[in-house]
Amino acid sequence: MSSVAPIAPVPVAPTTARPAAVARRRLRRGHVARRIGINLLGLAVFTVMIFPVYWMVATAFKPGRNIQDYKPHWFPAPATLSNFTNAVHRPYFWTDVKNSLIIVSFVVVLSLTVAFLAALALSRFRFYGRTAFIFLILGTLMVPLAALIIPLYITLSRVHLINTLTGVIAMYMTFVLPFSVWTLQGFMRGVPRELEEAAMVDGSTRFGAFVRILLPLVAPGLVATSIFAFIQAWNEFIIAYVFLHDGSKQTITVWLASFTNLHGTDWGPLMAGATLTALPVVVFFVLIQRRIAFGLTAGAVRG
Amino acid sequence: MAAIQLVHVSKEYGGGALAVNDLNLEIAEGEFVVLVGPSGCGKTTALRMVAGLEEITDGEIRIGDRVVNDLAPRDRDIAMVFQNYALYPHKTVYENLVFGLRMRKVPKEERRRRVEEIARILGLEDMLQRRPAQLSGGQRQRVAMGRAIVREPQAFLMDEPLSNLDAKLRVQMRAEIARIQQTLAVTTLYVTHDQVEAMTMGHRVAVMRGGVLQQVDTPQRLYDSPGNLFVASFVGSPAMNLLEVVLERDGGTLVCRVGDTDLELPADTVGRRPALERFVGRHIAVGIRPEALSEAGEDPDAPRLRGRVLLVEALGAESLAHVEVTGTPLDRPELVDVAASQTHLLPVGERTATLLARLEHDTGVRPGHIVDLAVDTRRLHFFDLESGVAIAAAAAPVTAAAVG
Repeated sequence: MSSVAPIAPVPVAPTTARPAAVARRRLRRGHVARRIGINLLGLAVFTVMIFPVYWMVATAFKPGRNIQDYKPHWFPAPATLSNFTNAVHRPYFWTDVKNSLIIVSFVVVLSLTVAFLAALALSRFRFYGRTAFIFLILGTLMVPLAALIIPLYITLSRVHLINTLTGVIAMYMTFVLPFSVWTLQGFMRGVPRELEEAAMVDGSTRFGAFVRILLPLVAPGLVATSIFAFIQAWNEFIIAYVFLHDGSKQTITVWLASFTNLHGTDWGPLMAGATLTALPVVVFFVLIQRRIAFGLTAGAVRG
Repeated sequence: MAAIQLVHVSKEYGGGALAVNDLNLEIAEGEFVVLVGPSGCGKTTALRMVAGLEEITDGEIRIGDRVVNDLAPRDRDIAMVFQNYALYPHKTVYENLVFGLRMRKVPKEERRRRVEEIARILGLEDMLQRRPAQLSGGQRQRVAMGRAIVREPQAFLMDEPLSNLDAKLRVQMRAEIARIQQTLAVTTLYVTHDQVEAMTMGHRVAVMRGGVLQQVDTPQRLYDSPGNLFVASFVGSPAMNLLEVVLERDGGTLVCRVGDTDLELPADTVGRRPALERFVGRHIAVGIRPEALSEAGEDPDAPRLRGRVLLVEALGAESLAHVEVTGTPLDRPELVDVAASQTHLLPVGERTATLLARLEHDTGVRPGHIVDLAVDTRRLHFFDLESGVAIAAAAAPVTAAAVG
């Protein structure tokens, strides 16, 4: 840094531009160094995050003897599909995939519908107890799930919903819904009320204004919420494990757990099964994530 | 096109606060009425009640010959321009313009024709496929106007549509809106807090304060005979000079004692205000517009006030002189609302008041000078200090009570 200072003071004009250029270059060099640092840090975080996923996929393709070798095999060479065939042919695989899909579809659709209407009420209407209700929603999110399992089990058994998909759907709604309502009402508050009023003056009914104007504008919120609901419902294990007893009624996460039994863990097929289980989440996310970033409300009001 | 009538309209919010108190206002077919007042005076609430976006606590609103109290906004056949434009951000300009027509099931061909025509009139032809985010403030404003015009409604309602534009664009759009309104001759109710906007645009101006209508009249008459102290201080830029004076009888004439100077009132001024007699010997408020003050000439008998010049603002066409005189400035709560537009620069003592005088552009008056200001006593305004109501010339009944 101090290397610039000792430059001999040359009195003539041509050099006047130089100190500025030097300073600029130094600034640029500092800038570049910082960017490289940030990128390296990002790369490190990425590696830590992605490695378990890579290891899962790699293991799924390794033949059994390479999996538990003392010398780690970094790449699945030679590769095999036998773990996948093994996993898919285990009992209940397709049944449990179907169960999971049913549960997820219901949870996503139900929570979006109910949460949209609830968020609408919270963000657009004033009513007695509104603030209390918002805090109550937030409060339910703070209760740890483990604390609820036994009381919920007793409640559900009274209404004969143990060992049914309906019961699990109801359970999932209890933690997906508060989050969805909370998120969606935040998105809705970001949409100026005048937009709906303009639509109402223009000839819409109040509900028409919600559907035609508000709904498209909170689409990113709906997408974010649906991703959350999908991932939560698809990956959930404890509730499904406790509430569903029959192999034919279980979800895919519980099915995965069956790879660990008294005789140990069958790592190859387990990793193959886990890879298959992760696929729908990835596919769903890729299909839908493009819409999240799309800032729809821009330009509604003065800019 | 239809007339709009507000009959004894009130709006009460929870807790008994009256946002609008017994408002009576009639906007004739094709008329442009501006509702003006300081923020929180209930003007926007009044407009929203006409639009149907706000329920009415009491009274009746008619559009044309229909009572619309219980009609939904969409059934009132009005169009509204919002302060923040409220353009649909996910729709293109074309879709924004056509939305209202589509809602009203106008045939497709007709829709396209009307939107294209409006786009041509407003110079939006090249922007029909853009989204609001890609438009400048002025263009957004135009789209918002276009969305109202294209519907061909019974009436326009505009809620401070210019307040988000910069000063230059605002003046330009002001003229444009006035021109459009003139061409289409659509009944228009326009809300603003800017009295200059109100005075330049409206056929008639309705001044509100604290939910109560103060006065409705043409801009000129509002300026010439304000019905009370609030209107007097609110209308006009620069604002009216307001002083507390004593009204005395001096021989056959009445005089206003400002500090220790007596201003003799002309006989015809007094003659047209018989009520003034009742105030002899009492304190009243007197208003002097800045243009009623000028540099005094040679005539020693002409009424004049002597004072020290604090500041001269050269505006090119004229100069505004701030002159400190002996006298009592008026200090009343209703004037606080408009303190910002009052030009009393320096803290004034109890016995000195700062007057604003509109002088010739080539005036030789400089700060520190002692000047004699000639007062055009025929253009004085008189107000009852207790009620704030104007002691008006008999020919012009303009008090709030007379309006209702």
